Amino acid sequence: MAQAPAVGPLPAVALPRANRFALSSGLEVVCLRRDVAPIVSAAFMFRSGGACDPPGRTGLASIAAEMLDEGAGPRDALGIAAELEQLGADLWLGSGRDGSQLSIQAPRETFRAAMAMAADILTQPRLETTDWQRVHNDRRTGVVQRRDQPEAVVNVVSDRTLYGDDHPYGQPVDGLERTIDAITLDDVRAFHAVHYRPNHASLVVAGDFDEATLQAELEKMLAAWKPGAAPPAPHPMPWPSRPRLVLVDRPGAPQSIVRMVAPGIDRFSPDRPGLSMLNAILGGSFTSRLNFNLREKHGFTYGAASSFSFLRHAGTFAARAAVFVESTAPAVREMLSELRGLRERPITTEEHAKAHATLLMRVAEGLSSTGGMATTFGELGLYGLPLDEPMRFVAALQRTTADDLRSLAERYVDPEAACIVIVGDRATIEPGLRELGLPPPELCNADGDRL
Amino acid sequence: MLTIAFDTFVLANGLPVILHVDRSSPLVAVDVWYHVGSKDESPGRTGFAHLFEHLMFMGSRNAPYPAFDSIMESWGGHNNGTTSNDRTNYYEIGPRNLLETFLWLEADRLATLSEVITDEELERQRKVVQNERRQSYENRPYGRAELAIPEAMYPPEHPYHWPTIGSHADIEAATVADVRAFFERFYRPSNASLVVAGDFDPAEARTLVEKYFAWQPRLPPPGRAPLPAEPRLARDIEIALTDRVQLPRLRLSWHAPALFAPGDADLDMAAHVLGGGKSSRLYRSLVFDKRIAQDVFAYQGSQMLGSLFQVGATAKPGHDLPEIAAAVTAEIDRLAAEGPTDAELARARNTHMADFYKGLDHLQTRADLLNHYQHVLGTPDGVGRDVARYEQTTTASVREAFARVVAGRHLDLRVTPEPAAAANGPAVTA
Repeated sequence: MAQAPAVGPLPAVALPRANRFALSSGLEVVCLRRDVAPIVSAAFMFRSGGACDPPGRTGLASIAAEMLDEGAGPRDALGIAAELEQLGADLWLGSGRDGSQLSIQAPRETFRAAMAMAADILTQPRLETTDWQRVHNDRRTGVVQRRDQPEAVVNVVSDRTLYGDDHPYGQPVDGLERTIDAITLDDVRAFHAVHYRPNHASLVVAGDFDEATLQAELEKMLAAWKPGAAPPAPHPMPWPSRPRLVLVDRPGAPQSIVRMVAPGIDRFSPDRPGLSMLNAILGGSFTSRLNFNLREKHGFTYGAASSFSFLRHAGTFAARAAVFVESTAPAVREMLSELRGLRERPITTEEHAKAHATLLMRVAEGLSSTGGMATTFGELGLYGLPLDEPMRFVAALQRTTADDLRSLAERYVDPEAACIVIVGDRATIEPGLRELGLPPPELCNADGDRL
Repeated sequence: MLTIAFDTFVLANGLPVILHVDRSSPLVAVDVWYHVGSKDESPGRTGFAHLFEHLMFMGSRNAPYPAFDSIMESWGGHNNGTTSNDRTNYYEIGPRNLLETFLWLEADRLATLSEVITDEELERQRKVVQNERRQSYENRPYGRAELAIPEAMYPPEHPYHWPTIGSHADIEAATVADVRAFFERFYRPSNASLVVAGDFDPAEARTLVEKYFAWQPRLPPPGRAPLPAEPRLARDIEIALTDRVQLPRLRLSWHAPALFAPGDADLDMAAHVLGGGKSSRLYRSLVFDKRIAQDVFAYQGSQMLGSLFQVGATAKPGHDLPEIAAAVTAEIDRLAAEGPTDAELARARNTHMADFYKGLDHLQTRADLLNHYQHVLGTPDGVGRDVARYEQTTTASVREAFARVVAGRHLDLRVTPEPAAAANGPAVTA
């Protein structure tokens, strides 16, 4: 068939019907029905994450989250694990920059029992010394092992470089070896007491559950949970000076992990839809400029990409690729050239249409599973956004023109001011990098400490 | 009763087609499996099935490179492919208005790929695949062990002897003539199956599938090399590797019954009881009680020509692999002697079934599962049989299957840190 078939109009994307109520404790609850599979997803989102870690004790929010299911209410740590498996329930506890989360996914038949366990975990964690010693040691070993993984190393080093250690987003959410050592069980207890409060949280329930009885059941399960005073908000700091070039030596590595980072925008900025579209063109799709250049045209890499992360107090722009060690300097040159090209090479009509369709369908795909629905609406709860925000985003995509994208590129993508972090074989890559006119290289170890 | 609703029919050229309607989202998925994997490669051309998968995106007669990606992405669709020892799959997901485009693109490359493939395109993807190898194995902690295990477990003449990613030398040796020969032999309607899933009208979808695929010629399924002898290790094997890692890791491997063969489901259950989660025996013993391991795992790696049962543990700082091996072996011996308790088996089964339900929530997972059953069982109607084999496991059947496997000879692979790794950060202390 020689002719490409005609393609009809894109389907409309609709939000699932959301039912919203508040418990007497102040907990905001959003319920969404989906009955494609007999499962239910629930996500408690707490508005405190790694950004709330005290100075010198980064990792506290995430290790506190990890401690909650190490014994709670009538069950010890292994008792909780065994009971969850008996129920066929997955439990996930963890922290990001802006929030901490307890998520469960369970079959319809056992969802109520799994939620009752989640309630125990949130409101009656035991936080005992013997469990703490084990979890604390496991975490310490985990952050040491992070040095084995070049992608994890580049994450740590690029955030420390871009934000600086004094910024709430500067140090890794999992912590550093020395900051983990500084955390005590009392810190964990205090973090739980202050931050795990119903008036500082929201809950999403999505899937195949009985909507009529949910509210009364939640009131009963969470009856002991009392509101607390609002915890202090973290203080963002000014951006440290840029540009910089930071190298982490990984002798003999067959690839270099290249990351370029620059300030982006926060979650509440009206430019978020436009920058998401701009990113689809630059590095957020397979046919994006970065991937086509570095992977398809030059064969430097298995894949190159870019992203914006939109956080509460700030955001990051990042471009990334793992490149063949011998191609490191040419790959960096091409990445910089594509960043520059976003201002210099006009955005085509085709690129603009692709960006719109890509983002629209990402919304639709995000709503096409119970886990995705819980994630989408959980994020709205975390940032206190209205429930129709995804549709406002869709409307903004529709309004954003190719000219708008060009002016966003002018304002937000400045390769001359980016920090470049590379984890690779220094002896092989440094001579080539020195010819690119970049700032003088600074050396860090795999934790991002200056050498 | 758990099901995935579907309609199925076979085109005159031998292509089985499976339609699964789900109108809960405005999305469609097209999923094509070819019954060819790295097991069908020739000596000197390891990694070829996977390299070929990359070339399937390099254009066809009516959709020249890079139209395959650019057309669907212009409408918000996306795609990928994966290759294993046993099969190669390709899928597209996107808005429902792309259904005909997806079918046209899949049909055009099945009909015409070998006409248009060039040295330049092969060279391009050769470099991409070599970088995939570096990223996924060579620059990844413990990646060297993943490459060494199949080589040690299977003799050189067995088609699982080499890893799916292949060797750099073989990837470099591949020619356009190899591409054409491989395509002509394996990429034919009778060696594939097609699933269409999502938001569409079944009668309309059937018409479209017939329009794009039914005209393609009927060719018999490809001839295959005779099935290899069941692999057996002549003796226990020990391998010591170093890697760019901070902590030593133990990897134990045994031969085990093939995918869907008697005992395969029992060994999934045994793996869960032994190392499947926080309530597993290895976790309780090595991580929770003794605190000598940072992580533990066990799994039944099921494949069509025979499976590998794998157990692993990573030593905590201050502990060594002999100590880890002794503790792991004690738990293996105890499970082989006593079998799981009723409660342990119930937990393993409930977890397995719940994971199955959770997968069914995703359109792409359902599409892939229908093709998986078509590939392995010769019919998409496999959910009932698949579920039943887990329901039928008993503590006695799990013990018996597990004891038989671990009574066999095994590979004991130990990864220890390269001396240079310590230069990467402060020294590791207990």
